[in-house]
Amino acid sequence: MKKFSVICLIFSLILFTAYIKNSTKRINDEIFLSKENIRDLKKEFENIKLEYDYLSSAEKLLEYQVMYFDDELVKKNLQNIKIINESINNINIEQFKLADE
Amino acid sequence: MNNKDSRFVIENRQDEFLYQKSKSNLNITFNRISFIFFVFFIIGLIYSIHLLHLGSRKVKIDLNNNINNITNKLFRADITDRNQRYLVKTINSIDIGISPLKIIDEKKLLLNLKYIFPDKDYQEIKKKITKGKFFYFEKKISEENYVKLMQLGDKSIESRDNLIRIYPQKNLFSHIIGQIDNDNNGISGLEKSLDENLKNSKEPITLTVDKDIQFLIRDELIRFNEIFNTIGSAAILMDIRNGEILSLVSLPDFDPNQREEISDVNFINRATKGVYEFGSVFKTFTLAAAFDEKLIEPETKFTDLPKSLTCAGFPIREYDQDIPSTLTAEQILIRSGNIGSVKIGQKVGMEKFEFFLSKIGILEKINFDIEEVGKPIKFNWGKCPLATASYGHGITTTLLQLVKAYSIITNGGYQIKPTLIREEKTIKKKRIINESVSSKILPILRKVVTNKEGTASLANVDGYEVGGKTGTAQKSLAGSYSLNKKINTFISVFPTSRPQFVLAVMLDEPKINKDYIYEYRDGSNFKLKGSPRNTSGWNSVEVSGHIVEKIGPILATKYSEIN
Repeated sequence: MKKFSVICLIFSLILFTAYIKNSTKRINDEIFLSKENIRDLKKEFENIKLEYDYLSSAEKLLEYQVMYFDDELVKKNLQNIKIINESINNINIEQFKLADE
Repeated sequence: MNNKDSRFVIENRQDEFLYQKSKSNLNITFNRISFIFFVFFIIGLIYSIHLLHLGSRKVKIDLNNNINNITNKLFRADITDRNQRYLVKTINSIDIGISPLKIIDEKKLLLNLKYIFPDKDYQEIKKKITKGKFFYFEKKISEENYVKLMQLGDKSIESRDNLIRIYPQKNLFSHIIGQIDNDNNGISGLEKSLDENLKNSKEPITLTVDKDIQFLIRDELIRFNEIFNTIGSAAILMDIRNGEILSLVSLPDFDPNQREEISDVNFINRATKGVYEFGSVFKTFTLAAAFDEKLIEPETKFTDLPKSLTCAGFPIREYDQDIPSTLTAEQILIRSGNIGSVKIGQKVGMEKFEFFLSKIGILEKINFDIEEVGKPIKFNWGKCPLATASYGHGITTTLLQLVKAYSIITNGGYQIKPTLIREEKTIKKKRIINESVSSKILPILRKVVTNKEGTASLANVDGYEVGGKTGTAQKSLAGSYSLNKKINTFISVFPTSRPQFVLAVMLDEPKINKDYIYEYRDGSNFKLKGSPRNTSGWNSVEVSGHIVEKIGPILATKYSEIN
């Protein structure tokens, strides 16, 4: 009986180890795939960001202003900037002040 | 006799040490077997050690090679502005070359290449193949064409990895970023000073500059360079609380994408490398030094000021002949009085004034993030040099150092280090000059802009509380001062009630424009056609006013503390 239980234990340990090894390998493969996907996505993100930076640059915006948004893109004066304070009951609009003067 | 008696007796004795297998009768002599095992063991051991040694050495060489390849050849970190927008981007590309010696079927190869790249000049390629030397067929190839070429499976087609450094902002940050050479080594600007960091850092390096602000300031400088027909100009915008530079422009600039070798001295970085006499902007330091030593107050009166002084045979005159002979210390700075400044300087004394200028970083070469930094010309102190230095004559420094000094004077006296590289760590503030200096100087700088007698009323942009000091200096050329060639500077601080930014604008050799229309900022809606004089008040101040007007809303909403 004792011999049998030792053999069973060893056998189950072998099976258990094999299972863990297999699942680890599978997880490793998944991690590798995910990393590769992230790398590709990161590369794509960087390229899109570069394009976005270029298209949204001040230089381009001024070009668009001349071409399409002559009346819509206007320079804001400091006096036209307001601060909106939102509380539960009401909304307060205050004058934006950079200086104390 | 004895010889006959002596005999050798050879006995075949049974060994006492026997290896005996228990159940068989096989007996092996132990020492013979053990000796053979021992020899084999030693040989094995030597071989294993040798193998291990060779193995580890190879790994080490490979590792070093790989690191060098990655770090030097095919990697360079990106650079972004403070809002994570790309200023420099590295793109890995593939170049395709042909090795003629490895061509098996030339006709087939050319036919295949013609199918993928129909627009190439194949007569030229044929000529190159006949020469027998490796040549580049197509550089910076697209991924699609690369796959097509590799599918041909021709061994003569060789791919070479390459690194492309793109500067999407073109000229905008050329003097800050600098350039790299063909071996991926920085040769100027941050590309040079951060060379090792850029090769090893896996994350982009973030700068303190703001792309939009930089664009707007550069745009205004270009516009006014044409209006005032300058040979160049520079501007620096710095946060006086932490030394972060939001914008640093020097014109003319260059496009780093072109990879041109620049030898024209006019392309010098005027903001950091150019060493100039800046004139009256030094008067603020003279007054600040007197406040720091608690020698005078803004209301201290200076009576019977002469219209001119003579020092070592050279006259010191007032710029404005209508300047009164009795002025307070405050009025001396507002009206930019030369004689009054000399009197204040003499009150401070040579040693104390030199020490003060040294403390605020005017006299020595500044330690900055880029290597293109000018060294102020050594100033030989004496009685007359003290007098001239009091109003900014004969003493040199860089625009960057002026910005730093004005920041210290106006931020409560705290030491700051101008920087282009953004760091999250907070630096302990160290006060180096008296706190009261700021509170006394700031209202006076404001009055330079708001008072009728002040020299900078064109910078009085509504809502920003601009204060500052003008400086018009004759350029020193070949040992003498030029009458027409000037360096006109305006250093502004705003808002003066809660100072946050210093903006310095310098125009190199501006000229009078007879057609330019000035719009007064005193609420009178008065317009004046043509520059009355070639002084800072009529050009650098005007430029600064327009810059503040343009960048102000961004600064106010993005970088200011709101009450």
